[in-house]
Amino acid sequence: MRNLRDIPIGQKLMIIIMVTTTSALLLASLGIVFADSLLFRGYLRRDLSALTRIIADNSTAALAFDDPKSASETLAALRARPHVIGACIYRLNATILANYSRQNSFACPPPEIESAIRFTSDRLTVAAPVLLNGSRIGSLLLVYDLGEIYDRIVLYGGTVLGVLLASSALALLLSSRLRAVIATPISQLVSATTSVAQTGDYRIRAQRFSNDELGTLVDRFNEMLAGIQSRDDDLKKALLERELALMEVERERERFHFMAESMPQKIFTARPNGSIDYFNQQWALFTGLSLDQIAALGWTQFIHPDDREESARGWQDAISSGEPFHCEHRFRRADGVYRWHLTRALAMRDATAGISLWIASSTEIHQQKEKEDELRRANDDLQQFAYSASHDLQEPIRNVAVYSDLVAKKYHNVLDADGQQFLGFLQEGGRRLATLINDLLAYTRAGMAQVVEAPVSATSVFEHTLASLAEAIRESDAVVTSDVLPEVFMGESHLQQVFQNLIGNALKYRSEDAPRIHVSAGKRGAAWLFSVRDNGIGIDPRYKEKIFGVFKRLHHDHKYGGTGIGLAICQRVVERYGGRIWVESEPGQGATFFFTVPQSAQRVRSSAAESSAG
Amino acid sequence: MAQRRAKIPSILLCAAILGAAIPTSQGAEESLEYQVKAAFLLNFVKFVEWPESAFADGNSSISICILGDDPFGKTLDQLIAGETVNGRKLAVERVRRIPPLKSCQVLFVNKSEQLLPALGPGVLTVGEGDHFVREGGIIGFVIDKRRVRFDINQTAAEKAELKLSSKLLSVARSVEK
Repeated sequence: MRNLRDIPIGQKLMIIIMVTTTSALLLASLGIVFADSLLFRGYLRRDLSALTRIIADNSTAALAFDDPKSASETLAALRARPHVIGACIYRLNATILANYSRQNSFACPPPEIESAIRFTSDRLTVAAPVLLNGSRIGSLLLVYDLGEIYDRIVLYGGTVLGVLLASSALALLLSSRLRAVIATPISQLVSATTSVAQTGDYRIRAQRFSNDELGTLVDRFNEMLAGIQSRDDDLKKALLERELALMEVERERERFHFMAESMPQKIFTARPNGSIDYFNQQWALFTGLSLDQIAALGWTQFIHPDDREESARGWQDAISSGEPFHCEHRFRRADGVYRWHLTRALAMRDATAGISLWIASSTEIHQQKEKEDELRRANDDLQQFAYSASHDLQEPIRNVAVYSDLVAKKYHNVLDADGQQFLGFLQEGGRRLATLINDLLAYTRAGMAQVVEAPVSATSVFEHTLASLAEAIRESDAVVTSDVLPEVFMGESHLQQVFQNLIGNALKYRSEDAPRIHVSAGKRGAAWLFSVRDNGIGIDPRYKEKIFGVFKRLHHDHKYGGTGIGLAICQRVVERYGGRIWVESEPGQGATFFFTVPQSAQRVRSSAAESSAG
Repeated sequence: MAQRRAKIPSILLCAAILGAAIPTSQGAEESLEYQVKAAFLLNFVKFVEWPESAFADGNSSISICILGDDPFGKTLDQLIAGETVNGRKLAVERVRRIPPLKSCQVLFVNKSEQLLPALGPGVLTVGEGDHFVREGGIIGFVIDKRRVRFDINQTAAEKAELKLSSKLLSVARSVEK
């Protein structure tokens, strides 16, 4: 059976056809022979019974009158039946009246009383009584040679064998043509699949021969091939794209490394958990160690012990929060000298906003730092000097003012017209000098630190400002209004300085109309945006930046008095709190000053005046 | 069955008679010859068809009449006892002269008697010797090669309106027409 399973379908079909045909024919033949022999036996039985009855009937007279000759003549009629091999007519006393033997080899057996039909292997024996007028007067025995049946079986068998051989030959001939109808498309399909499997070429298509299941199979196979082909193409494309992308990534990496190596800065990259995976050559140059040694030690080992703790904490904070890392600290050089560095690290994020890499650069800022220190010291000295000078100058200036006033009052009559005029100049100069000194003091104070612990109500600061400006407001017939103002983290006196200068300026640089001044505030990002709008003479946009400089005055005529230091003070104060100040205006259209104040408490940025605070 | 069993003795007797050889026709064996002839006489009845006109009525028996001396003795009477043919009983009668119409269906004419021509239809005449059929008898017993046989005069049978079975004709020694 296994052999049958493994042979080609064409041969299988042939075997199936042959086996089916042969077995059907054999079965049919066996059936026919069996039925025929049954029918023939029945026929024989009836035929011989009838024959026996006729002979018995014809023998009555011969028996009745004991005439062997007549009986023999009756029996002689059996000669017409070649398979009757013998017959006997018995008298009642069991003697033989007459007998018939076809080939003189037949001997009569003892008579039988009852009528009987008996089949033996080669003979059919029929016994019957001879009746006359309802009485038995003798008996008859007839023996039939069954060779006829076997002759018939042999004849049938021969016929069947002949038909079988002929039909097998015909079936073989037909099947070899018919099986091509099934086997050829299958062979074609097989060769198509084989060539696809061997070449991997999915453009190959199987040929369709028929509209039956095999045709459908071929169609489905071709559809599958088309599906595989397009998927194969997609796959190849995707692989190519991936390869290109990998090459691009590799190029990017090379670019990054080249860039990192070409930088004067020390560069390192870290994984999201903070472990360093790359140092550039600048590290080796600076520390005099190999990159492996640096990697083994860790970058924080080169930080000055005084800075190390803060740096490490900041780095850990940055790693856990993802916020940029920013730190100034000293690194130990190969010769053991510490040099100031600014280290910045930024988290690179992937598409899902997760951190993929930290990129850190350390820039040597040692010289800059030293220059800054020098500069700061110089600036501090200068500020200290300016403050002291202003402070120390107040006393003699006050004296000048007081005594010139005394001279003007007491010696009014002594002085001639020229003297009085000169004295007037002296008084005016003294007053201006005093104002100048005050403003200078205010400016230096604006740079000083002021600890802000609790928020300050901008509304109350605004009201204090109005109170201190009450006389100027009344004189100019101005209207000053405000929205509800927020609470801000800002020194109260600093905010008042800003309000006072901006509102004072608005009153001062008025137009012909009565001044209208409005203060408002609103949120702008993480800051409060304050605005002070007026209907004054306005400012030429060209001077928008210039006006915030110290001693910058646009108007030098007497109409607008002042030292030109107010807006500089405002800028200094606002910037100290991390804010910004600017103006928007057109000449003749009034001006609006804006400044921002952070919403939350913030460290005061500059420490410029710290040293002079005492 | 009981009826059939009752017949068996006569049949056996008949068979015994027929099966026996008949060596001569003289002396002590005279009676054996007549025993065979008696059996033949009875068997003739079975192969002959009478017209209805030959009987007085439907129930009347077939009478076997013996004209002249009875050569059969008791044998014939024993043979026909209980026998019926075509639904009619058999009877044996011994007559001295020509019997009246419809009284005898079979008339056995002894050697010593003369067959009378004016016998009328419906009577099967059985006699002895070659001459009997030539003289107008229907069946005549003969001894042929020491066997009892018979001749038939078909013309006489037709004249007597009797139908003789072809089987009977086939076993006759000769049939005259």
